Amino acid sequence: MITTLVTRVRDRAASNPDGIALRKKDLGVWQETTWAAYWETIQLTAHGLIALGIEPGDRVSIQSENRPEWVILDLATVAVRGVTVGLYPTNPSAEVAYLVSHSGSKVHFAEDQEQLDKILEVRDECPEATTLVYTEPRGIESRYDVPGLTSWQELQELGAKHRAAHPDAVEQRMTAAEPDDVVTLVYTSGTTGPPKGAMLTHRNVEFGIETVIGQGSFVDPSANDKDLTLSYLPLCHVAERFFTTWYNAAAGTQVNFAESIDTVAVNLREIQPTLLFAVPRIWEKLLATARIKVDSASRVKRAYGRFWLRQADAIGTVLAESGGNHTTSTRIRYAIGWVLFYRAFLTRLGLRRVRHAACGAAPIAPDVLRFFMGVGVPMHEVYGMTENTAMATANRPGRVMLGSVGEAVEGAEITLDEDTHEILTRHPGVFLGYWRDEEATAKAIDADGWLHTGDVGEWDGTHLRVTDRMKDIIITAGGKNVAPSEIENGLKASPFIKEAIVIGDRRKYLTALIGIELDTVGEWAQRQGLGFTTYRDLTDKPEVRALVDGIVKEVNSRHNPVEQIKDFRMLPKELDHEDGELTATQKVKRSAIDKSFGELVEQMYSGAGRGEGAR
Amino acid sequence: MSTRLRGRPELYTSYGQEMSLLNTRAKALGVLAILAVAVYLPMGMEDDLLRVLNTGLVFAIGAIGLNLLTGYAGQVSLGHAFFIGVGAYTAAALSGDPDGRYIGFGITNPLIWVPAAGLVAAACGLLIAPLATRLRGLYLAIVTLGLVFIGQYFFIEWRSLSGGAQVGREAATPILFGADLTRAGAFSEEQKLFWFFLVLLVIFAVLARNIARSKIGRAFAAIRDRDIAAGVMGVELSRYKLIAFGLSSFYAGVAGSLMFVASGTLGPEQFGLLLSVQFIAMVLIGGVATISGAIMGAMLIAMLPRIASELPHYLPFLSRSPIDSPNIFEFELIAYGALIVAFLLFEPRGLFGIWLRIRTYWKSFPFSY
Repeated sequence: MITTLVTRVRDRAASNPDGIALRKKDLGVWQETTWAAYWETIQLTAHGLIALGIEPGDRVSIQSENRPEWVILDLATVAVRGVTVGLYPTNPSAEVAYLVSHSGSKVHFAEDQEQLDKILEVRDECPEATTLVYTEPRGIESRYDVPGLTSWQELQELGAKHRAAHPDAVEQRMTAAEPDDVVTLVYTSGTTGPPKGAMLTHRNVEFGIETVIGQGSFVDPSANDKDLTLSYLPLCHVAERFFTTWYNAAAGTQVNFAESIDTVAVNLREIQPTLLFAVPRIWEKLLATARIKVDSASRVKRAYGRFWLRQADAIGTVLAESGGNHTTSTRIRYAIGWVLFYRAFLTRLGLRRVRHAACGAAPIAPDVLRFFMGVGVPMHEVYGMTENTAMATANRPGRVMLGSVGEAVEGAEITLDEDTHEILTRHPGVFLGYWRDEEATAKAIDADGWLHTGDVGEWDGTHLRVTDRMKDIIITAGGKNVAPSEIENGLKASPFIKEAIVIGDRRKYLTALIGIELDTVGEWAQRQGLGFTTYRDLTDKPEVRALVDGIVKEVNSRHNPVEQIKDFRMLPKELDHEDGELTATQKVKRSAIDKSFGELVEQMYSGAGRGEGAR
Repeated sequence: MSTRLRGRPELYTSYGQEMSLLNTRAKALGVLAILAVAVYLPMGMEDDLLRVLNTGLVFAIGAIGLNLLTGYAGQVSLGHAFFIGVGAYTAAALSGDPDGRYIGFGITNPLIWVPAAGLVAAACGLLIAPLATRLRGLYLAIVTLGLVFIGQYFFIEWRSLSGGAQVGREAATPILFGADLTRAGAFSEEQKLFWFFLVLLVIFAVLARNIARSKIGRAFAAIRDRDIAAGVMGVELSRYKLIAFGLSSFYAGVAGSLMFVASGTLGPEQFGLLLSVQFIAMVLIGGVATISGAIMGAMLIAMLPRIASELPHYLPFLSRSPIDSPNIFEFELIAYGALIVAFLLFEPRGLFGIWLRIRTYWKSFPFSY
């Protein structure tokens, strides 16, 4: 019998039955689930799935916010050799129809009425989804009369009955598991074209676990059952699945489910996690929150806070130069600062106990990372993608290089394509292929087993730098290659800017569309005594434009003239997944932007109504 | 109750943890420190200052009682002095000399006469409550004001109990385990009384705090915030107002029984409107709907006469003699009113509000919110 996620959970439940596996905030209190109870529920659910007719290789789709049922159903599916398909809770019904029908899921889990309505709306298009499971009865129970609708409770009861009749059924399936069994389909967000379902197998997952957790080179001492994590990013994304489900199964970390993405700040403070993974957007938001809170503090606290943040800046600069290692002088400065400021500061942000912080899934400005290093969060940028089980390179403790995504992980081969400088990876974590898409699979994995990542990179010693997505590289009319993400992230490092889209492919010069961060700019406007009503109204204020102009000029000064933004326009609305402007992972869909805001872009190149300044 | 996770004060895994009185280590240590200081205080303090503190401790018990009724349940009562009087006379009568001039039963054990005083006062409170539950706001205030005058009339006229106006009678004598607490021995009278009062205050304060965080306390708060809404939510108004009056009167009775132990005598004119106003002042100055606030307020009011008597050192135009004007007694009276007005205007949450402000400053450090 091979080691899988499920056997790991089973073994832990046997060795540490009363340890805490999961916590979920319910009615104001963090309700705990022990390993024994966790494993029991997984078994019942697995039996329930067999009773529902899930055979090896059948798909089970899940559309839900992060909650215990997500991981339980995920692991139960893996236990019966099924395949889990995760959907973003923000996927609108059209995308639900595509994902459920493309994957051919037999069982679909929709956590509440909102998610259930989405699948019911498009049920005709998903004939294979015979069973719909929900867990929040509000608005559903005794109101919906739909064939195949089952509550979570009923699924458990079904499982209990099945277990009474076939006590060994789940164990038999687990024994029969093969390393090449697909455990999950991770649909990539697809900034162009429809999403593609990457197939990840036991072999992929186990390689990831062995490399990241088994060898202890990432976190020292290794992640263990005393570590707490906060689960708040969508679980259908490979990064959060790794961090929540796989870490939990392999290292026994205690998973705490945030109430929602909006309560992350509060939940961080309550949980004070020891291991924290976040995407750039979250780190940027945390940084903005910290700055705003210091700036809006009372006079004494403000001066005090600014003083220590300046110190942190200096410490961060030294740390960034020395790979994350303290020198004697910064150690002393930080120790004093810790007593007087950073301790309280980090506690308030919920980062005080973080012993390993990671950032990945999208490019981030080095300034943001430097800030967190300076205030004492051990920050590590990592690089990977769904297709290689999120495993390619990582910055290791003590060998951090800002602006790079780190060194190759153990057991991974990484090389650059000679012509295009595309990053290629080869290791046991490379996925099996795209579900029902031979053509795309062939494009992604070549005959030698190299995965073509679609990212352009360059080596800096043993550290890898990622320039940009290959298809995003801008070639100006003058023939210069420009990586827009670096400029965009420079802009987004400002607390006032939420979205920045640099434009200029086959154009004379670069321009940008900029979306402001409503919270921080709103707060700024209030302090300036500016009244405003809506996002649009705030965006149109000349003072706000001047504010953004200042930031643009500041960023421009760090780039050579070709990479400078000559003009910009403000986005009149907040970009949104529902409107198709963002992917489920909050990445901008350029094609949609061109369609919605093409007029603004043309204005900038037509010469008419050219914005002031920023030249 | 499951165990707390170290270093995560805001992580509650059960309601028990969230509701517990000492839900953080800092709080537990703080309370322990205050208690330790309080226990050792009598060893290092002059007896005359201690006497002031003793009064404060007793006032605190009464103020907590009024706070349960007025602060938590929102029922304004000016009749607190009446219940104090009932308690005082019950205790005096129970412990009085059976062969003396006034009613007496010779039960000198405070473990009997303290609860008895509370119970008799509570019984009076329960008698009044049905009237009060039909009224609210200003009307209730006026009715309870009437109570004070009726009570005073009774106390003055019932000479066999009270000794009558300007005469008075001896107060209750506390003889605990054979030791008279009002006689100096190894420890002085003040020291012994201090410890005795302190124990009682701690018991009654913890009791009140538990009532406040229980179902009863939540019902009180609901009634205070809007009685109609509370009724709609299923809070039985008459029942909980009855409980509020009963509890408040019980506390008043207990405070009354102890209030004159140190001075040894009591007269009926002491249970007038001024006493009621003093208690209202303690609640308002200390902090509405807080137990520790009530204690702080009581201490301040108890110290006011002492502060006033020190004032002529700094303000030579104030006289110590009651004949001259302005004198310290007038100042004291004005101070009650001025303090109430000032606190209501500038710090409506009272002394406790000042503490909250300090606490929030450090709790939110290094931010402001």
